[in-house]
Amino acid sequence: MIRSLNILLIFTSVAMLAGVYAIKFSIEGTASERTALTEQISDQEAQLSLLKADWAVLNQPGYIDPIIKRHQEELGVVPVKQEQFGSFADLPMRPAKPDTAAMDALFQAIDEGVDPIDAILELEGIE
Amino acid sequence: MMAVTAEPLAQPIALDGTRKQRGNLTRARIRWMVLAVVLGFAVVGGRLVQLGMVVQDDTIEGQTRDAITASRPPILDRNGLEMAVDIRVPSLYAEPRRIIDVNEAVRKLRTVLPELDEKWLKDRLTGDQGFVWVQRELTPAIQDAVMRLGIPGIDFITESKRFYPGMSEASHILGSTNVDNQGIAGIERHMDRESVALLQNLGLARGNALTPVELSVDMRVQHIMHEQLVDAMTRYQAIAAAGAMMDIYTGEIIGLVSIPDFNPNEPASALVKDTFNRITSGIFEPGSTFKTVTIAGALDAGTASMSDTFDARYGVRFGRYTIDDFHGKHRILSLPEVYKYSSNIGTIRIMQTMGKEAFRAFLTRMHFDKRMEFELPEMRVPTVPKEFSEVSAATASFGHGLSVSPLHLLAAYAAFTNGGNYIEPTLYKRDVADAEKLYERVIQPQTSMAIRSLMRLNALEGSGSQMDKEALGYRVGGKTGTAEKVINGRYSNNKNTNFFASAFPLDNPRYAMVIVVDEPQPENAQSGETAGWNAGMVTGRIVQRVAPMLGIAPDFSEALDEQIVPQAIR
Repeated sequence: MIRSLNILLIFTSVAMLAGVYAIKFSIEGTASERTALTEQISDQEAQLSLLKADWAVLNQPGYIDPIIKRHQEELGVVPVKQEQFGSFADLPMRPAKPDTAAMDALFQAIDEGVDPIDAILELEGIE
Repeated sequence: MMAVTAEPLAQPIALDGTRKQRGNLTRARIRWMVLAVVLGFAVVGGRLVQLGMVVQDDTIEGQTRDAITASRPPILDRNGLEMAVDIRVPSLYAEPRRIIDVNEAVRKLRTVLPELDEKWLKDRLTGDQGFVWVQRELTPAIQDAVMRLGIPGIDFITESKRFYPGMSEASHILGSTNVDNQGIAGIERHMDRESVALLQNLGLARGNALTPVELSVDMRVQHIMHEQLVDAMTRYQAIAAAGAMMDIYTGEIIGLVSIPDFNPNEPASALVKDTFNRITSGIFEPGSTFKTVTIAGALDAGTASMSDTFDARYGVRFGRYTIDDFHGKHRILSLPEVYKYSSNIGTIRIMQTMGKEAFRAFLTRMHFDKRMEFELPEMRVPTVPKEFSEVSAATASFGHGLSVSPLHLLAAYAAFTNGGNYIEPTLYKRDVADAEKLYERVIQPQTSMAIRSLMRLNALEGSGSQMDKEALGYRVGGKTGTAEKVINGRYSNNKNTNFFASAFPLDNPRYAMVIVVDEPQPENAQSGETAGWNAGMVTGRIVQRVAPMLGIAPDFSEALDEQIVPQAIR
């Protein structure tokens, strides 16, 4: 009885020993993986910080302005003038009703082969 | 049996059974085993305690490793654009006790870093130290090159470094940091005093987790101001130019520029002479811009009104001195005319209606005689006489004989135009509700209305007309100030400090601005050298560019000006 118990215990302890070693090695593996990852993260954070700084530089008005000035002619841009601002209030209101009679007359004229625009162009000597 | 009993006191032969014998042996073995196990556990336990007691040696040249990677919160402008960020940069260090051949290491290192002095480097790398810096804050490219040299005992560590993407544009606001990432000037220094230093000491300020600090500055406005003031330096061959803009309701500083400036990415450039912040730490005689203060004081005290007239026919005599007007009209002027023609005589008469004591008290009420509570550490105390004599009160009424910083002037103009509430300027974001708690009533709302009219009137018909041409439609109004500089104790007649203090859009004012141009020359033969021609025009050009950014639409209607400046005072 005792003998078989001992044998059992020996086997169990060997198995547990093997288990502990396995865990130890796997933890060592995980730890080195972790170190590598931490390193990678800090590396990437460093790169990210540089990229963010780059992005911040590229967004500065002080960086964009000279570029625009350099390409002013090709782009055809100039600083906006006061006269170029408008508001919705300045737009004329839509006519209360479309002028149906005039439209009908226009379509009728075109159907009959008379183009009022043509007449104007001819009058101006264009064509 | 007899034989057995006859044995004289012989030791009894104890005969244990084999089972008992083995049992005893086992007990002894168990005892030894227990002892061995206990000893084993004691060893393991002792080792654990020992491991627990180990203090990790993380000292690097007197600093902890945490401190050198200590980071600072990013600084953002009011729209979220980065004004200062941390970047991680490699720093080169050496472990001299691990270096095998110093001469070889020096020779190899100098192929990549030729600017290092050979003798210095040799001394640095010789010895038995565990850690010395070689060169801090290098670029990743140099790091690669040095790593490729493969010198034992030479390695890199990543440090946090402050980087200012706006370069010199917001230099005086931001200040700078030293190599250990501690603020040494500007808002960086202020942040350290507040909280960052504490966080760094606790080792908490690491990584990117810090909440960004939001400033009140608008980088677009800052850029335009910077550009225009740099332009003014060459256009008017000035020795310095400065400007600041403020939200009159919240006290937020929208832009603050002082030229010459420095590049905060190279802290050494801040040490060059004349790069001090003229808005906060420069004090100047404010000249005629101070007439607004005098008139506001008298109007508020009720001793003068908009319809009063003042005799400006003859200069005002004080003993041997006579104070006269620069563009003299030499007639009787109404109060708006005194302002419009910037009459010294008229202003003295207006001041005299309230008396010198009341005038002096009004300057205290407008915070002109104390150091401004402001985030930037570079501040100067204004010099305003404790008590005025008749003459000094007279000269003070048109801005001579006292010196204040442009920031003082800006805060006063903000109070004059916002309805009469003094609000201390700030560089941090603040909303109107928070600002209202800090309001301090200094003049009545109706006085503020009158000052608005006068300022706009001056832009329409007075010395601000050059400015108004540049910023047509944005309802800017303001007052010029051309103050003769004191050279060797006398007022010079060809060296001036020129000011333009303004507010816009005056139908519903939102922003106040002060522009200073120091010692300007006329731009060309047709232009003058008074403030309207330089500081005024700079103001106009800045407003013309920034008003659309700030959401102010131009409006050319006459009716609006009629409403700001009633016909009665024209």
